Amino acid sequence: MSITRRDFLKTSIAAATAASVGISLSPAAKAAAGKIDKDWRWDKGVCRFCGVGCGIQIATKNDRIVATKADPDSPVNRGLNCIKGYFNGKILYGEDRLTQPLLRMKNGKFDKKGDFMAVSWERAFDEMEKQFKKAYTELGPTGVAIMGSGQYTVQEGYASAKLMKAGFRSNNIDPNARHCMASAVAGFIQTFGIDEPAGNYDDIEHTDTMVLWGANMAEMHPILWSRIADRRLSNDNVRVVNLSTYSNMSSDLADLEIIFKPQTDLAIQNYIAREIIKRDAVNWDFVKKHCVFATGPYDIGYGMRDNDKFAFAAEKDTQAKQNKIKLDADEAIAQRRKAGEQVDQTNSGSAGKHWLIEFENFKQAVEPYTLDYVAELAKGDTDESLEQFKAKLKQLADLYIEPKRKVVSFWTMGFNQHQRGTWVNEQAYMNHLLLGKQAMPGNGAFSLTGQPSACGTAREVGTFAHRLPADMVVMNPKHRAMSEDIWKLPANTLNPKVGSHITKIMRDLEDGSVKWLWVQVCNPFQGTANANHWITAAREMDNFIVVADAYPGVSTKVADLVLPAAMIFEKWGAYGNAERRTQMWREQVPPPGEARSDVWQVLEFSKRFKLKEVWDEKSIPGLKDKDFADNTLPDVLDAAKQMGYSADDTLYDVLFANAENKKFKWPDPIAKDHDNHTVAILGDGWFAEKALFEEYARFGRGHAHDLGPFDLYMHDDVRGLRWPVVDGKETTWRFNEKYDPYVTKGSGIEFYGKAFKALPTGDLNGVTGKDKVDLSGKAKIFFRPYAAAVEQPDENYDMWLCTGRVLEHWHSGTMTRRVPELHRAVPAALLYMHPRDADARGLKRNDVAWLESRRGKIKAVVETHGGRNRMPPGTVFVPWFDEGVFINKLTLDATCPISKQTDFKKCAIKVYKA
Amino acid sequence: MNLSGILVITAPDQVEACMAQLNALPGVDVHHSDIASGKIVATQEAEKTEDEVEGLKRIKALPGVLMAEMVYHYFEEDKALEAQMPADLDKYQGLKEIPVFKNKS
Repeated sequence: MSITRRDFLKTSIAAATAASVGISLSPAAKAAAGKIDKDWRWDKGVCRFCGVGCGIQIATKNDRIVATKADPDSPVNRGLNCIKGYFNGKILYGEDRLTQPLLRMKNGKFDKKGDFMAVSWERAFDEMEKQFKKAYTELGPTGVAIMGSGQYTVQEGYASAKLMKAGFRSNNIDPNARHCMASAVAGFIQTFGIDEPAGNYDDIEHTDTMVLWGANMAEMHPILWSRIADRRLSNDNVRVVNLSTYSNMSSDLADLEIIFKPQTDLAIQNYIAREIIKRDAVNWDFVKKHCVFATGPYDIGYGMRDNDKFAFAAEKDTQAKQNKIKLDADEAIAQRRKAGEQVDQTNSGSAGKHWLIEFENFKQAVEPYTLDYVAELAKGDTDESLEQFKAKLKQLADLYIEPKRKVVSFWTMGFNQHQRGTWVNEQAYMNHLLLGKQAMPGNGAFSLTGQPSACGTAREVGTFAHRLPADMVVMNPKHRAMSEDIWKLPANTLNPKVGSHITKIMRDLEDGSVKWLWVQVCNPFQGTANANHWITAAREMDNFIVVADAYPGVSTKVADLVLPAAMIFEKWGAYGNAERRTQMWREQVPPPGEARSDVWQVLEFSKRFKLKEVWDEKSIPGLKDKDFADNTLPDVLDAAKQMGYSADDTLYDVLFANAENKKFKWPDPIAKDHDNHTVAILGDGWFAEKALFEEYARFGRGHAHDLGPFDLYMHDDVRGLRWPVVDGKETTWRFNEKYDPYVTKGSGIEFYGKAFKALPTGDLNGVTGKDKVDLSGKAKIFFRPYAAAVEQPDENYDMWLCTGRVLEHWHSGTMTRRVPELHRAVPAALLYMHPRDADARGLKRNDVAWLESRRGKIKAVVETHGGRNRMPPGTVFVPWFDEGVFINKLTLDATCPISKQTDFKKCAIKVYKA
Repeated sequence: MNLSGILVITAPDQVEACMAQLNALPGVDVHHSDIASGKIVATQEAEKTEDEVEGLKRIKALPGVLMAEMVYHYFEEDKALEAQMPADLDKYQGLKEIPVFKNKS
């Protein structure tokens, strides 16, 4: 490249950057900004990575992305990008993109022990269909499964969920989002009766106080962090608090840093609640009008298997605690019981049940959480004095309680990946509701997400084992009937029995109850805790694993069939971010080789099934429902014929390319001459992504989940819309009459969510009055106690292990590690540990150490110099993006028993010199 | 080759000093500034790929810089660069027994 060309580019890029961030330019500079891209096509898009949902602009030339820039008109990121977002274009162009289907073969035939050979799509689908039908005939709908993702586009998730639930009559579809925000969902549903946050990102500019609980936003949500930094630096009254189990980059800006012992966030929140009551700071006007008090059982287990049939010898002692635990001294105080008491985990199958209590019960329950007790229990850094830690807890309570102060609490995986994740989410609402600081600009508990469409697809579309679109669930007969109506299915086609959550699907592979699995848009064999079990199950058991992906990773390596997937800007799509904002984009460039969109893959596969193969009588072991014969889904073929279907119709004809959907024609002027490879290859002239979106949107309209029309999102001047979108208008703060059209006029605040809004009454020990009380319009203030982590450091495994992410890499690194700049910045995952812990083990910085838990061992390079993560003695941190440092071989697959989300933040390991 | 457009924010009275510091960094050029809002626009050129990310950290560490973020990214197809892909992607601990990809052509 010549110097002249380089200087010209620099001038142009500088001018474009200045224009993006609002610096006024001379006419000459303005002209330069326009020159660089005169033959480029610019279009709007959304970032592929985290749940923040930043807007970007993408430039293409000759079917290739040549530049990306942060979108100055995006209200989310306002012209800024983080280091990952900056490389959105480059992730498409890694050398090892998967461009052909690959099947394990020997002598020209499929063989589980064979090597991967390139095959045609037709050969790939032939084998996939043959293996599906084998498993489906042998085991029925429960013998097959799909693992989906919070990275699904809305349309991909919808197509997969519909194929599984309406077509195959299986509820075994669950996303990796289960590992990401299931506890947030359960917290929302139990507290408010409806999913997702009341507030939005503008809370940052409206508030005085931002409290981070287990959310290292400086690394994980850098663009929101830049807004927080802006707010903090421009206002002396603003305070930022960082609560964490180790010191991280978010502490650099924080006014107050609180390092606590893993799991004791449960106690700290109850201390704040006790202070609110003790200081007579309960906002009684708000609480009496809008809230009730509630609690549930404590003996709910830890989401592990209830037997040790498949456990390694070393894990049997941890597994045994699923059924019975011995209360330690701190738990005894927290739960008003005796230390040493043996407690059977009798409610492990009914962990979510809850009932109403009186305020007096609530007050009695938080009474043991004194400053002395909580400080002693929760102090996480042995080098800090107890007095200083107490002063910090008191300061935290002061910030929450100060009447004129607005407060936003942010959290992500620290709360959600937690053995009591649902409880700790509910405790955040507990304090905001007691203070009346919820659902108002600048006031609210705000659950952030980690994936770009964890909200938009996994949650709103409902790609979970128990969900249907728009917060509906398979167990509810009314919800099934409404879904069968929209989907035009005969009554009782849908299966009422909840399917397997993602960790359970892994366990099902191991015990042989699932024999066919399709992995879409995620890398679960790297991302699921206790991975040694699942890798062995995938490779050694009689099963067939299909993995659709863009790059090879651990999951494609353990697969039997690999399908090459189109990436974000190679297809049409929509994502929904953490503030309920739905954003769409057009296909910008064609996918490489034979890679194709997941929508195409699902639709094409559906052509291979006739109604008579799936809508006849099916066996569902364990199904018990008043509308169904035991263990059985009925034959609905006769009813289908009366609806005009033929037994020989394919699932493609019935579920997807039906008359209604075919009304959405391709080409469509909204495409502005952009291509659509999905539609082109299907070849029957309907606009699949638009039709699927419009059909899906019918579920939420009129039910407080309203989405706007497809075309509205595609408008040049729209940068996404926050649902509910009513009459073309988005909703900024939900449950607040001033902003939310669903709130009854005159009520001010109304928590109108409908789930779990009739409850029996009781006391702290259980239900006493069976009659259900109607709680319409109200939120619940839960009492949830401190409970110790199921596995803690002991003499043998003597350190806490916490896992997480780093700024430069996203999830398992399959995309970001293909960008040389990001790979070089952080080439490998390091073992972050305190220098004294390293010394005691004869280790120093850059040494290689063994890390070993009850479940496996791996090697990693030691980092003691702090830098981004400064560990307290006794705790180590290892990021999980690096498949060469496969940390999930060590982690424990214990979950929150209510949400079924795994706790990746705490298990016990030992570290020694390699 | 990578070129980035970077927004730097500093206090209004430090814009001049900050611009001088930025211009002194190899590969960095200041193009625009706005004293009232403390905003400076610079470009960064990365000859070596390592410099791309390190460069931003270097800018963030300058005295008086309150914030520095990338706004614009230009890249040209560079086969030599892409060939330097993560070398360790095939080192699977405990996964060695699993056959690797063959016959991709």
